[in-house]
Amino acid sequence: MSDFWVLAMKELKNLLRDKKLIFGLIIVPLVIYPALGKTMQVGIEKAQGMTHVAIVNLDSGKYGEVLIKALQSAPQVGVTVLNVTSVEDAIREASLRKQNVLVVIPANFSESIEGGNPATVEVFGIFRKITPGIKESVSEARINAVINVLSEEIARIKVMKLGAKNPDAVLHPIKAVSLSVVKGRIINVPPEVVSSVLASQAYGLPLIVFLMVTITAQMAAGAIASEKENKTLETLLTLPVRRTTIVASKISGTAVMGLIASLAYIVGLKSYMGSMGLQIGVSPGALGLEMTPFGMLLFALVIFLTIVFSLSLAMILAVFAEDVQSANTVVSSVILPLAFPAFVLMFTDLDELPVIAKYGLLADPFTHPIVAYRYALGADYGPLFWSVLYLAVIAGATLYATARVFSSEKLLTAKISWGRKRRG
Amino acid sequence: MPAVKVENLEKDYGKVKALKGISFEIREGEIFGLIGPNGAGKSTTLKILATLLRPSGGEAEVFNHDVVEEAPKVRRIISYLPEEAGAYKNLTGREYLELMARLYAKDDGRARKMLELGVDLSGLGERLRDKISTYSKGMTRKLLLARALMVRPKLAILDEPASGLDIINAYTIRKTIKRFAREEGVTFLISSHNMLEVEFLCDRVALINEGRIIEIGTPKELKEEYSAENLEEVFMKAIGAEV
Repeated sequence: MSDFWVLAMKELKNLLRDKKLIFGLIIVPLVIYPALGKTMQVGIEKAQGMTHVAIVNLDSGKYGEVLIKALQSAPQVGVTVLNVTSVEDAIREASLRKQNVLVVIPANFSESIEGGNPATVEVFGIFRKITPGIKESVSEARINAVINVLSEEIARIKVMKLGAKNPDAVLHPIKAVSLSVVKGRIINVPPEVVSSVLASQAYGLPLIVFLMVTITAQMAAGAIASEKENKTLETLLTLPVRRTTIVASKISGTAVMGLIASLAYIVGLKSYMGSMGLQIGVSPGALGLEMTPFGMLLFALVIFLTIVFSLSLAMILAVFAEDVQSANTVVSSVILPLAFPAFVLMFTDLDELPVIAKYGLLADPFTHPIVAYRYALGADYGPLFWSVLYLAVIAGATLYATARVFSSEKLLTAKISWGRKRRG
Repeated sequence: MPAVKVENLEKDYGKVKALKGISFEIREGEIFGLIGPNGAGKSTTLKILATLLRPSGGEAEVFNHDVVEEAPKVRRIISYLPEEAGAYKNLTGREYLELMARLYAKDDGRARKMLELGVDLSGLGERLRDKISTYSKGMTRKLLLARALMVRPKLAILDEPASGLDIINAYTIRKTIKRFAREEGVTFLISSHNMLEVEFLCDRVALINEGRIIEIGTPKELKEEYSAENLEEVFMKAIGAEV
């Protein structure tokens, strides 16, 4: 086995046996996020259960009764008719009976409909506790849907009475069919859905890149700083192993562990987001936005080079830290501000930005995975090549600087102690 | 050929001059002690010879290899035990020795032999199966000494090998060094501020104070020269302090 493999395996073994690390980076995302998502899912399912609606019918005509019957026949709706004479009493009574919604049919309800005037129904969502009010919101939407159906039906009857042969054509003289054109291809999906699919990608990817970069950087910095903290660094540096081998093995060991942790976060977050019902149900593939194997290769290269850059930068920074705590502070202070601009791409298209802002963002290596993903989906390989080239230069230079620092005595003499008092 | 040759060695940490032009030689197979108080320059000298620090001036060679120009060659023939060394806490003692053996030996057979020697030198027996995080300070030091010696270096550089240990552990470690030097013919450079330790272990010693070497000789010669009962007295007289 070569020195590289011996040291890389040591690195991995050391990290995998660190209980705090395993708990924080793998168990937490894999257990806590899905558990949180499941809890929210249960809350949403509960909210979507039976709607308890209280109705006060102050109307003496037939349409008030029709509305009550329509609500009674609606699925997942339990109707309680209240025998009160004022809205205030109705609210009190509905609250006491733990109803989610109160519907008040006014005295002139039928008269207005029959007289050709718009009739108004008041729908109150009743918040008994200060909660997010999902149940109240779902219930109100459900009641409104019933009222809309009834309203449409009454309108249809009225239009028919006026002699119209096709009441639908009178009520909806223009119908719009929404389609989308993506990369020159017509797709039978409304633009709203296409937007949602693209937005879901735009929101998800920066978050994943951010997690991946910060986790791997923290681990690389920790790997160097813990050598200092545990007083193993001097021994390591006097072993008959090339310094570049030490750097490469540390980068590889922490990269593997970092990728495992990032994967755990992605799986955990995906489960959490899925539970929240944020998935649209249409994949980018269904819109004709699918990566080719070549696009995938270029995208993987971009991710790989970004990680190499992040890890080597973190290792240089960790050289100046005395312990793991200081290393985390130093790395966070530099890597986080570099990773944040990636979030700008959540809300905006790079090409719509002013030239300075565009190239300013592109100078930041952490924005490239997001930009590259979009180009890879659209099979736009030219900008992808530039990304690979730029990242290769940046990552290569940082890696070279890391190897240089490791070959110098800076590793032993450079010191910044953050978060700890200096010893006198 | 001397095992170590140091000429006018200087080391500055910014404005602080840690070494002010020291010179000495160590013969092959010798146990050489560098003794002096804290901050005298002992650890700096050892770190330069272990290729960790670059000298600001002068030259240092280990078995004819310059420690700066031929650092990789020097690393292949030395073994360094730092003063406050630690080991990878999540590995077991045996895994740690195995890791080091694999890095020094280029084939499985040699690595196995190094490991066997390390296991024997550590004297930790069954505890080698436990994680290093469960070891006491004395056990960790024995493991680290075993690691430094099992590779049979041409020069073993030990910085305060028994510092901070209780009497039993310190005695065991000194006995191990003495036995290993006698049986294997390895050259040792040991730094210490424990004069008793140095007198027990070393063939020759250099007294170092404030970055300068003030005396070199065998403990017997130095005691005779200064009409002193022990090296502690020699040192005090050599620096002109009242005894």
